[in-house]
Amino acid sequence: MKIIVAIKQVPERDAQVRVDAAAKWIEASDLQYALNESDAYALEEALQLKEKHGGEVIVVTAGPERVGQTIREALAKGADRGIHIDCDDLESRDALGVARLLAAAVKPENADLLLTGLQSEDLGQGQTGVILAELLGLPHASLILHVEKTDSGLTVKRELEEGWFQTIELPTPAVLTIQSGGNKLRYATLMGIKRAKTKEVRRATAAELAVDAAPVVLLERVSLPQKQKSTQILPGTPKEAAAALVEKLKFEVRVL
Amino acid sequence: MLSLAATLAEPQHFSLAEKLLLIVLTAASAAAFWRRFGAVLDKIRQSKKDPGFHLFPLGRRVWDFFWEVLCQAKVIRQRPLPGLAHAFVFWGFCAFALVTLNHFASGIGVGFLSPSGPFGRFYFYLAAAFAFTCAAGIFGLFVRRFFIRPKWLGQKLSWESGFIALLIFVLMATYLAAFFVADASPATRILWWTHTLAILIFLPIIPHTKHLHLLLSPATVFLSRGGFSQIPPLVGDEDFGLVAGTDLTQLVSLQAYSCVECGRCTEHCPAANTGKLLNPKEIVLGVRAYLNDLGPASDQSLLGKYNAQEAVFQCTTCGACEFQCPVGIEHLPILIGLRRGAVNTGAWEDDYGAKLFLALERGSNALGISPSERDKFIQKQALALFDGTQEYCLWLGCMGGYDPKGREIVADFARVMNYLGTSYGVLRKEKCTGDPVRRLGNDLLFQQLAEANLEILAQSKVKKIVTICPHCVRTIQEDWKDYGTPPPIEHHSEFLARFADKLPKQITDETIVYHDPCYLGRYRNVFDEPRAVTALAGTVVEAPRNHERSFCCGAGGGLTFLGEETGERVSHVRAAELVATGATTVGTACPFCNSMFRDALAESGEAAPQLLDIAQLTARGLPKNEAV
Repeated sequence: MKIIVAIKQVPERDAQVRVDAAAKWIEASDLQYALNESDAYALEEALQLKEKHGGEVIVVTAGPERVGQTIREALAKGADRGIHIDCDDLESRDALGVARLLAAAVKPENADLLLTGLQSEDLGQGQTGVILAELLGLPHASLILHVEKTDSGLTVKRELEEGWFQTIELPTPAVLTIQSGGNKLRYATLMGIKRAKTKEVRRATAAELAVDAAPVVLLERVSLPQKQKSTQILPGTPKEAAAALVEKLKFEVRVL
Repeated sequence: MLSLAATLAEPQHFSLAEKLLLIVLTAASAAAFWRRFGAVLDKIRQSKKDPGFHLFPLGRRVWDFFWEVLCQAKVIRQRPLPGLAHAFVFWGFCAFALVTLNHFASGIGVGFLSPSGPFGRFYFYLAAAFAFTCAAGIFGLFVRRFFIRPKWLGQKLSWESGFIALLIFVLMATYLAAFFVADASPATRILWWTHTLAILIFLPIIPHTKHLHLLLSPATVFLSRGGFSQIPPLVGDEDFGLVAGTDLTQLVSLQAYSCVECGRCTEHCPAANTGKLLNPKEIVLGVRAYLNDLGPASDQSLLGKYNAQEAVFQCTTCGACEFQCPVGIEHLPILIGLRRGAVNTGAWEDDYGAKLFLALERGSNALGISPSERDKFIQKQALALFDGTQEYCLWLGCMGGYDPKGREIVADFARVMNYLGTSYGVLRKEKCTGDPVRRLGNDLLFQQLAEANLEILAQSKVKKIVTICPHCVRTIQEDWKDYGTPPPIEHHSEFLARFADKLPKQITDETIVYHDPCYLGRYRNVFDEPRAVTALAGTVVEAPRNHERSFCCGAGGGLTFLGEETGERVSHVRAAELVATGATTVGTACPFCNSMFRDALAESGEAAPQLLDIAQLTARGLPKNEAV
């Protein structure tokens, strides 16, 4: 099976984020970066499929020089080669623009399966994988926890809400967006890192890929959430207060 | 009949047939000996060279050889009575060197010591005294092994040991008996030939049994790595630790073949004492069996048939084994080497282990907590940030920065430093020193953490570090040397002891049982300073196992981050021992020991003694207006 995993390098989860001067993005200096969490699960799923069925796992990512570190981590965990799309202005591209870059880079590979993480930890749009499928003309399924290869394609387990799951069958080639938590992640090993030194990382520039970069979605403003606190004391007897509370929970807070 | 003029009787004349027989038998015995001994030497020589091994300086090596081999110091001190018995056997062997040489020489007619000459008389009497003590010693050891049967010698009776004991006894008895017969008597010849045959049978047995230590252990002690838990560096791109036979180094092979099977390591092992699979003696013997069966060129895994992975990961790296070994075996580099082989290649699959590694891959501390929590703690305690001007950098560590109890210890130590007027600051950012991953054998992660931290220290211009955690001290001072030059670091007990005369002496009738942390005691030889500090806060009481014999709390070796342990809980066993002293307080000097006992002492309910770190004990005595 030839599996491509699209990964993203995002600011570390515990990073103290500050909005930048232009209020268009977060202050990038002093940030530590790490592999996006659901992408780590996508990579793990791909590696497990390779271990079971043989084949190749290729990671692809777009970003500046520093994303090379994340590619090396993925290679150290067992991916066979990487594709680094050189791109210094990732923040100015929307999901469509990024998906176009990825599609152009991976199309010649003719993979059997493409995996992405469900959503990124910084923007959290959850769209890139789905748009990628559309651009490549492939079927897709999202929020996937488990993938099994069958004679006719794939059987996948999809997470719904409230503890429900859905089992879907689809043919290959296909695109899947992977939810976190489906597998136990493997740790990076010294042997993996040493082997990674000799693995190929192909560079492609955004210019070479010649995709239309004009965003259709513009990020207007980034701000930190305003903390609001308001307390209402409900008067009356316990019975009256309880009734009032249920009203509020139903119609104001809307959790019931 | 014994008279004061008795001399050693020897046959005055050997026939040609006897001489030829002697030569043939000696040659046969020597050949049989060499066939096996040569093979063992080959296996050791063919093993990989030890990276980072330096023969010089010789001073320590010569001293260790003199003290531990010639004086048998460790043998005697750690097990006095059997140790002394063994020492007499050993000294007997040494004294007999010339006797034996002369014995064979006279058999072919070129004897050089005359029983009637002045030197000969003196020497033979001296050897007789040693023969007597040797015989008594070997007899005592025989009784101990076959009748008293201490459990660390194993369940199975060793007939081989019994036979060797018999041979040694016969050697001494035939020698001594020769003082009671006349040269011309036929008994003399019988004694002479019995003595000879005993030697010629003994010689080839030596390399086939644990008695190989007779020849190897002086070299093993001399050539040992030194230090404590001296973990060798990995060299090149294909070195992942002890994966297969090809990774066994000459020192490891030499040490494996030197094992005397005395069981002192097992006797003091916390895992072996709480019903776990791990038995340090069996780890070493497993390596030896591997070498015997497969040799140092095999690529079969060291873990599997010869040693269980499960056992290797039950080690707390407390060092009781390495500390005890009388023949110079260094168990910790072997155990950690085996762990490296499993972890660096990804062969170790453990949920908790993976969780620890992933937490440190992504984050800054082993507890998996957001680093902003450490910042909040620093702000709340109003700890000054290190800006290059203060004398000390106070290293918080994972426990000091993120654990509630560790934070209390840091806060109290800060109070004491304020009282003493010491200038110090804490770093804005710290990553875990990497101790747990170092002991678990994850060199990738350890390198990343060490290098990142060394960079932080260099940029912050740190000159001196003080910290509350012995694991941080050891890792920063020793283990980081593989990746740079760490600044000098000391433990807070060493710091506080220096100022003991400036700290208030508390008037109290509290009794405090001080628990020696493994990484402060055995690893760093710091025993007196924490006691001096504890003595300021009450009367120091000793646990039955104290100082170098201190029994591990169970947290080390990364084990505090791994899951449920099998068998009895090490921490509970030690806590019970501490409680049984009747002390009102348990004094600790390590936040991990503190954490383990906090849980274990809860079992004693209301009757549990207080649990306080030496920093807390000291701070308690400060005048009340000292606030951070």
